[in-house]
Amino acid sequence: MKRQIDLGLLYSRQGTYALISQACRVGALAAMAEVNADPSLDICFTPVERDPGGNIDLYGPLCEEILRDSSARHVVGCVTSWSRKEVIPTLERASGTLWYAVPYEGFEASDRVVYTHACPNQHLLPLLAWTFANFGRRGYLTGSNYIWGWEMNRLARETLDAAGGETLGERYLPLGSVEVDRIIEEIRVTRPDFVLNSLIGPSQYAFLERYRQLGLEDAHFRAETCPVLSCNLTECELPAIGAAAEGLIAAGPYFRDSAGQGFGQGFGSSHEASAHSAVWMLARLLAGRPGAENLPLSALLALPAAAGLGIDAKTHHTTLPVLIAQVRGGQFRVVQDFGRIAGDPYRSAGVDAMPTAPRLRVVT
Amino acid sequence: MKRRVRSQNLAGAQAWLLHRPHPTVQALQRQLAAIGLMVEQCWPDLPAAALGADFIFFDADQGDDAQFPWAPGAAPMPMIALIGSEAPGRIEWALNAGADAQLLKPVGDGGAFSALLTARATFDLRQALSAQIADLQQRLDQRQTVVRAVTMLMGLGRTEDEAYAQLRQMAMAWRISFEAAALRIVEAGRGPAAGKVGP
Repeated sequence: MKRQIDLGLLYSRQGTYALISQACRVGALAAMAEVNADPSLDICFTPVERDPGGNIDLYGPLCEEILRDSSARHVVGCVTSWSRKEVIPTLERASGTLWYAVPYEGFEASDRVVYTHACPNQHLLPLLAWTFANFGRRGYLTGSNYIWGWEMNRLARETLDAAGGETLGERYLPLGSVEVDRIIEEIRVTRPDFVLNSLIGPSQYAFLERYRQLGLEDAHFRAETCPVLSCNLTECELPAIGAAAEGLIAAGPYFRDSAGQGFGQGFGSSHEASAHSAVWMLARLLAGRPGAENLPLSALLALPAAAGLGIDAKTHHTTLPVLIAQVRGGQFRVVQDFGRIAGDPYRSAGVDAMPTAPRLRVVT
Repeated sequence: MKRRVRSQNLAGAQAWLLHRPHPTVQALQRQLAAIGLMVEQCWPDLPAAALGADFIFFDADQGDDAQFPWAPGAAPMPMIALIGSEAPGRIEWALNAGADAQLLKPVGDGGAFSALLTARATFDLRQALSAQIADLQQRLDQRQTVVRAVTMLMGLGRTEDEAYAQLRQMAMAWRISFEAAALRIVEAGRGPAAGKVGP
């Protein structure tokens, strides 16, 4: 007999980052179906779903609704850091837990959140180390005008400074804006070795299209000499980008090409894989322990079963594969494997702990 | 003045929590451990070992000057006040005790990281300004020495402007401050080699 356990789902099915939240939702629902169909587990998840529709002000109230109107104490959800910060006070009041399955900018270790995707020591820092070795240390930084872009670019600037590199420009676009001409013009004039792109949604799609055109006009701006880097781009957005994605370089814990490297296989993207893994980690913590669904997260992570899942009890960040991949022929191909690295949101292992990539030329 | 906040080098730093055992202490310990700090708790007095700490968190509600092994406001590290009662008297005491940042009680899920960075930046700025003020103070104190040195050089037949320029050249050649050069000249002028100073 399976125990019914309500599990909250809080993903926006429309808005600027809809493709990402839909990928996460697919992964979470697939994992719930697997858990429910597994006869060896004594639990069965019932999704309690709310859709904020991309409206930042609905995350707090809808999270509260899940925790109030159902018995769910765990919620899988949120894409932007802004929405995550919005729900944390609600989680604190209701003793709830958020399983957050997308890459973010680090510098957080909430007692109420498990972070199952990468933070900077698992995406940006390895990506920059690899890029410095293969392309150079003169970077142009761009991003959407909110915490993800700001913090990614601040870290990139700091890392460039420390490596004796140069930040040639730094420019932001409001969420949803497609006014990329000024950024393209600055890149054309400064001729960097790489462009760090922390734009999201339509801004990113517009930028990549214009950058592709720039590459057609001037060969310097092609992936061989000045690639565009991203820390949150996955297969789930490639259809929206089309041909302009060719040559893009991204860091992440999973690419379709990497199947079997510690994050399972058969997922559409790392967003999907990460949400899937979040639900499975929760299932392993709850299975065989009646009542565990009502334990606070700290008690849950103190269980012996938690040790094997790769969740750090201090920071609630996870140990993940760290891969660099490039879009070639419309698909991400892994070009560098850094192995598995523990999430270190405050970089407490220090800058020296970063692996340095062997010098590898990108073959195109 | 634009400040760059250092977000690194907190790992392995040592923090002392001067507060009686309390859920606030536990919440703070959890946050600090996640950031990578080593944490010690003590009450009611800071032991001498705390002199080597990188940060002190102290209770502003029940604290007093006698708890610290240094004079009020003379802490050799950044200090963060844990404020429960926002009574003006307590805030005044916390400021005089040397609070570089504050954290409101009850401490919950956040706040420690920004308090650490704020306290360190404020402390660093205060140290830099103190050093600058001490240097300026010393130079002010040496005004009389400068006047004497210029007068001595004028005694060798130079105009005031020439004497001043010569003094500046000497300071540059000796790679010392203008005031230190003046002191050297005055002291040399009192000695047997009077009148023969120069680089």
